Amino acid sequence: MIACENLTKKFGHFTAVDHVSFTVSKGSIFGFLGPNGSGKSTVIRMLCGLLEPSQGRATIAGHDVARETERIKSLIGYMSQKFSLYDELTVHENLMFYGRLYGLSGAGLLQRRDELVALAHLEPYLHRRAALLSGGWRQRLAMACALVHKPSVLFLDEPTAGIDPVARRELWDLLFEFSSMGMTLFVTTHYMDEAERCSHVGYIHMSKLVVCGEPDDLKQLPVVNPPESKRLDVTCDHVTVGLQAIRQLPGVRTATVFGQSMHLLVDESVSEQSIRERLAGVGIHQADIRPIAPSLEDVFVALTNRNDGDGR
Amino acid sequence: MKLPFRGFNAILYKEFLVVLRDPLTLFFMFFPPLIEMIAFGYALDNDVKHMAMVVLNEDRTVESRQLIDRFVNTQTFRVVGEVQSVDEMAAAIRQGKAYIGLQIPPNFTRDLHAGRNAQVQVLIDGSSSTIASSALNTALGVSFRESVFRLLGETGRRELPVEVRPQILFNPAMRSPNFFVPGVIGVVLQIATTFATAMSLVRERERGTLEQLLVSPLSRWGLMLGKLVPYLCIGMVMASGLIAIMNWLFHVPIAGSLSALFAGIVVYIFCLLSLGLLVSTRAQNQIQALQMSMVFIMPSVFFSGFIFPRETMPWIFYAIGSLLPTTYFIELARAVILRGASLADFWQHLVILAGMGLALFALCALRFRKKIG
Ligand SMILES: Nc1ncnc2c1ncn2[C@@H]1O[C@H](COP(=O)(O)OP(=O)(O)O)[C@@H](O)[C@H]1O
Ligand SMILES: [Mg+2]
Repeated sequence: MIACENLTKKFGHFTAVDHVSFTVSKGSIFGFLGPNGSGKSTVIRMLCGLLEPSQGRATIAGHDVARETERIKSLIGYMSQKFSLYDELTVHENLMFYGRLYGLSGAGLLQRRDELVALAHLEPYLHRRAALLSGGWRQRLAMACALVHKPSVLFLDEPTAGIDPVARRELWDLLFEFSSMGMTLFVTTHYMDEAERCSHVGYIHMSKLVVCGEPDDLKQLPVVNPPESKRLDVTCDHVTVGLQAIRQLPGVRTATVFGQSMHLLVDESVSEQSIRERLAGVGIHQADIRPIAPSLEDVFVALTNRNDGDGR
Repeated sequence: MKLPFRGFNAILYKEFLVVLRDPLTLFFMFFPPLIEMIAFGYALDNDVKHMAMVVLNEDRTVESRQLIDRFVNTQTFRVVGEVQSVDEMAAAIRQGKAYIGLQIPPNFTRDLHAGRNAQVQVLIDGSSSTIASSALNTALGVSFRESVFRLLGETGRRELPVEVRPQILFNPAMRSPNFFVPGVIGVVLQIATTFATAMSLVRERERGTLEQLLVSPLSRWGLMLGKLVPYLCIGMVMASGLIAIMNWLFHVPIAGSLSALFAGIVVYIFCLLSLGLLVSTRAQNQIQALQMSMVFIMPSVFFSGFIFPRETMPWIFYAIGSLLPTTYFIELARAVILRGASLADFWQHLVILAGMGLALFALCALRFRKKIG
């Protein structure tokens, strides 16, 4: 559905997107991750035909985004990173405006408005000004507006930034609903838990695409699972104290805190017993140790470290 | 098949709602023009009337008092006090209590009756040139009339040998509001409407809503026209208000046809709004939009013939004036309001304004890039 080949964007001497290539198949939820300023929004803007690529090309349903910009407009919906609706207009008026913008009128327009209101559950706020909606509701409205012309691909640039966890979960439920209807979704986010829910993920770092694929496949990558190593989860009291002690243990490669536990990447040879002894040395006698699979975060950390190593 | 004005109705709908919902913006669109109109209208009223005059009458006769009355009867002067010495008279002018000092020496009546040259002295504050020249002309006129009628009496003739009978057409009272106020309308309309549209697209750019418009199938002609029409309506309401003020507050009658005037106004506002849109397609933020609008507004104030007659300008300023819509509008407005001209007399101006408007509008639609960055 979406295909990029060496997509590149330069702003003067600065390269914001550097030879990025990937494909997104129809009906999938593609999670696009990366730190602030890594070039996520720039990629989306190129895919929507808002920015001219400096090099490379991208197609949506086979149409070149730079040359057939008008053609792709009916195929795509775009929800930009800024909240970009008209604050002065009510929910109803915003929907009517976007409907007309996409050429709807009369009964067809009203019918589509009703469908969108039902889809995003906007009934209670129909005549409230957009300026007075809370973050989650604003995002629902923005999404409803982006869907007015029934696009087959929806681009969402950080749709969950700054909204509360409940609204965040509800928004994702909606996204799954769209996906099940056959829509292709392209979502940028900072949240790892959101990434885990995507059918495909891409990770961009310093303008370069580091990795792209299905989460489960990525977790099997050799860089993520170095030979003769294993990942352990250690749950105990005083994790921070424990962490200092464990880091001293020979054979421990990385150790990071996750709430009440720590995640370790250790040599195969490191035994559970040696970890318990080390913890007991700093006064921690209770510890629950179990093997775990790598998370997506582990994947991205491992890949970023490797690439930085290459760079130096 | 691509419709050239695709999305126009959507933008029109939204723009009307946004403008009418925002009372602050509306207030700032309407209030300054009203104030500017009233301020400009009064400030530029340089009809000199009832200037303060102090009198030093050392003669104290019927004749000398008659002379003072002659000065007062011109309506140009009014007596604000009597002084006792030349020093006191000079001090009154220096302190700004009077613009004019009239000194009638003790032997005035005696010289007059003896057929000698009877002299009076007039001191004039020259710090304001308009006031000084008006005072000078009036004072000379009074003395000239006085002399001529005395000579007539001596020769026994009843009538002047030569008499010029001036008849001033179109503004017989030579009131300056009649000259200035139509120009004020032109300038005030320019300020309000150019800023309004210059801001409107820039605000969408800043708020990020422009991106949303650009991913839709909206055509740039549709966008531009949708932005323009609501402000055209608002501009017409504003123009009607200004013309009402002109008529009722400044008592400037409209000699020509109202429909001719409004035809001129519609075309003129269309021109100004296109100019504003052109600014907003280029400006990246509101500050830039403001500065760029000023670039167009300042010359309109100075080179359009609004204050200074264009005929006396150096050729370069005259040429700049010829490029400004305001110039043509002011000429047209003065012709219709003061001289009762009809559209048949001034259709060229209308055609020039319409041409400028269409060219500017086409330019902003063509220059507007449906990309960001
Ligand atoms: N129009 C622009 N002109 C110059 N630099 C830009 C422009 N847009 C983005 N950038 C730069 O490109 C980089 C990537 O930006 P962006 O794609 O917005 O990152 P992200 O969305 O991942 O946070 C940033 O360093 C940003 O400053
Ligand atoms: Mg971004």
